[in-house]
Amino acid sequence: MERIITRFVKALRERGIRVSPGESIDAVHALALGGVEGRASVRALLRLTLVKNVNDIPAFEEVFDSFFSGREHFPPGLDQADFLGALIHIVEGEQLKSDLHKHHKEEGPTLLVDEEVTAEDLENLLGMEESDEESEGADIMVQLDGHRGKMEAPAPSDYYMKSPPTVAFHQGMNKSKVEPFTPEELADMQEVVGRMLVRIRKDVQRMKEEESRGRLHVIRTIQKNYRHGMVPFLLSLRRKRKEKPRLVVFCDVSYSVSHATRFMLLLLHTLQSRVMDVRSFVFNRELAEITDMLRNMPVNCLIETIDKGEIVNLDDNSDFGNVFRTFKEKHLESMRGKPAIIIMGDARNNYNEANEWALEEIREKAGYMLWLTPEERDTWQRGDCLMELYGTYCDRVEVVRNVDELSRVVEDLFLTILDLHDTRVWKRRPRKPEGEEPYDYRTYYTKGSGATPAFDPNVRRQW
Amino acid sequence: MIAEHEVRNLLRTGGYIADESIATAVFLALRMEKPILIEGPPGVGKTGLAKTLSEVMDFPLVRLQCYEGIDEGKALYDWEYGKQLLYTQLLRTQLDSYLSESADLRAAVERLSAEESLFFSQNFLVQRPILRSFLSEKRSLLLIDEIDRSGDEFEALLLECLSDFQVSIPELGVIEARTRPLVILTSNGTRMISDALRRRCLFLYIGYPEFEREVAIVCARYPELCDTLAHQMVDFLRKVRELNLRKSPSISETLDWAQVLTILHATRLTPEVVANTVGTIAKHQADMKQVSELATRELRVA
Repeated sequence: MERIITRFVKALRERGIRVSPGESIDAVHALALGGVEGRASVRALLRLTLVKNVNDIPAFEEVFDSFFSGREHFPPGLDQADFLGALIHIVEGEQLKSDLHKHHKEEGPTLLVDEEVTAEDLENLLGMEESDEESEGADIMVQLDGHRGKMEAPAPSDYYMKSPPTVAFHQGMNKSKVEPFTPEELADMQEVVGRMLVRIRKDVQRMKEEESRGRLHVIRTIQKNYRHGMVPFLLSLRRKRKEKPRLVVFCDVSYSVSHATRFMLLLLHTLQSRVMDVRSFVFNRELAEITDMLRNMPVNCLIETIDKGEIVNLDDNSDFGNVFRTFKEKHLESMRGKPAIIIMGDARNNYNEANEWALEEIREKAGYMLWLTPEERDTWQRGDCLMELYGTYCDRVEVVRNVDELSRVVEDLFLTILDLHDTRVWKRRPRKPEGEEPYDYRTYYTKGSGATPAFDPNVRRQW
Repeated sequence: MIAEHEVRNLLRTGGYIADESIATAVFLALRMEKPILIEGPPGVGKTGLAKTLSEVMDFPLVRLQCYEGIDEGKALYDWEYGKQLLYTQLLRTQLDSYLSESADLRAAVERLSAEESLFFSQNFLVQRPILRSFLSEKRSLLLIDEIDRSGDEFEALLLECLSDFQVSIPELGVIEARTRPLVILTSNGTRMISDALRRRCLFLYIGYPEFEREVAIVCARYPELCDTLAHQMVDFLRKVRELNLRKSPSISETLDWAQVLTILHATRLTPEVVANTVGTIAKHQADMKQVSELATRELRVA
């Protein structure tokens, strides 16, 4: 019996369920107790002892069914039809390759002028090489699995998508609706956010402790203890800081960056109530504040509303200059404290007016300014991208391509905000006098490696 | 010792209809003396299971409701400072005469410290829920409710108690449980419970019940409700759960609704009946509207 359980636990681990040795001992122990009869009971018993997470339960059921079904020559979690399909792939590998090639020629980007090999092509080639090697059947299967999906028609390169002719022709097609989050995605993101919160909890704690410390506020203490005959049972302190750190976020909701925006919204949603005071804006051509909606609406609904174009018109082209000017005119006055500002967008201004003077004025009111862009640095100068121009006004520009990177950047930012929640520290910060020569942004971007710009590391570490 | 199907029958006598995994979990917890961690949406009978168990097994229920900021002073034990002070005041004369025999201050301090254990004894210990259930003469049922509301620190505090059934008190040493209680922890999953705690428990997930079980639950609680109506309302509620509501109705809502329908002497569901009683199953304004719409759509035809 022990052996069966051990093998079953191994199968579970192969499916990615974490089972500790202690838990498998528990399972054996529980079975040895007796009193449990029938398949359903044993299934319940194993599930109770081995699985410790709700999300693992479906995987467990699957492994249990295939493991105790008698067809043990098939590895668990593998469908027979899948297996057959994979075999066919192995046998017809040659044909497959040629098919793929033809396929590629038909659907390749017709607008590309040069016949150069793109990165995707190379990757596809690489994939074919690998499946050609003399390896065992199972190995090939694994390899095929890894390349399934990647071998499909090559995706047009970023540049192709952004080039003016494509944009002009595809005007109507880019609007395809991105579905709202699936529950799994939401759970994943919640988990990322949750993990982040656990990590920053200590700092929040410290912040709170500091808040509840301070010198005695004599008058208020006496007032508070009036009914106790002036015996100071309840203390009132001069708090160091009463407000949560402030954050102002701009999210570009146009098609090109919508994925990152979604995550950002969720992140804000979670952070909003717990640790900081966030004002959030979305923009495309116009700017709209969504702070209240974020507070009162489930994220999914909000995203649907945004996708329907009810908040800002999604059919327009994004216009950063207009957005900054609007913000300067309408909201800058009401911006209290010195918030940290995060802007998410690709800075593709569609040849509208740049209005960088507005950004500069916003910068003066901000404690910190961070720009997150999904585009790689070498595309910043191409086309209508104004990243280089806008970048000069920001304290930091980060390239974020996926959720992990984004969460890391935000966590980083968050820690610095917490460190410096005390505005007095900002004042003590060695600021450059106005008249000093403007730093050369070109070297700023090329020196150092992204996260830590090379000039004056001390200042940067603080902010 | 009882077997698994006996557990199920026992729970049924208490009015709790258990499925396979719940019965197995209780059985294992009794036999292996391991805590059960129950997760699931609100209102599916997590706390109800504990209450019923304590009733049918005749275990006194010791309940610890968790909240943010709960600590060992609230959960394990506390010293009764007031009582300690009072005793020293009252015993002052005795102490004076007792200490006056010693030659100098040093001797007096030594003499006093020899009697220190007097003031840190079980006499002055306030037993909080966990310690109380450990020290109870009869085997008890310790319910640690909504553990996800407490903080990480409290979870860490529970680790020792739950794995070894003992409490370490610095002044007294380790206190072992007199009888090992049956421990049930519940969580609504608003926060991830740490793996360390999960590992020490049997993990039981209670979701929304299957059709048959839900009908059985309704019939067990409200036998006067007619059978067809029970089927109809459970069927309707299952459709309601498929809607994207802010708060899906769970078993507790089903039972509330059943009670309301019994009071109203309803014999079958109509859109009007649903509209009048929608407050028992939907708990948000937007949800109410959706449920009423569903009722007009689904029940008009029938």
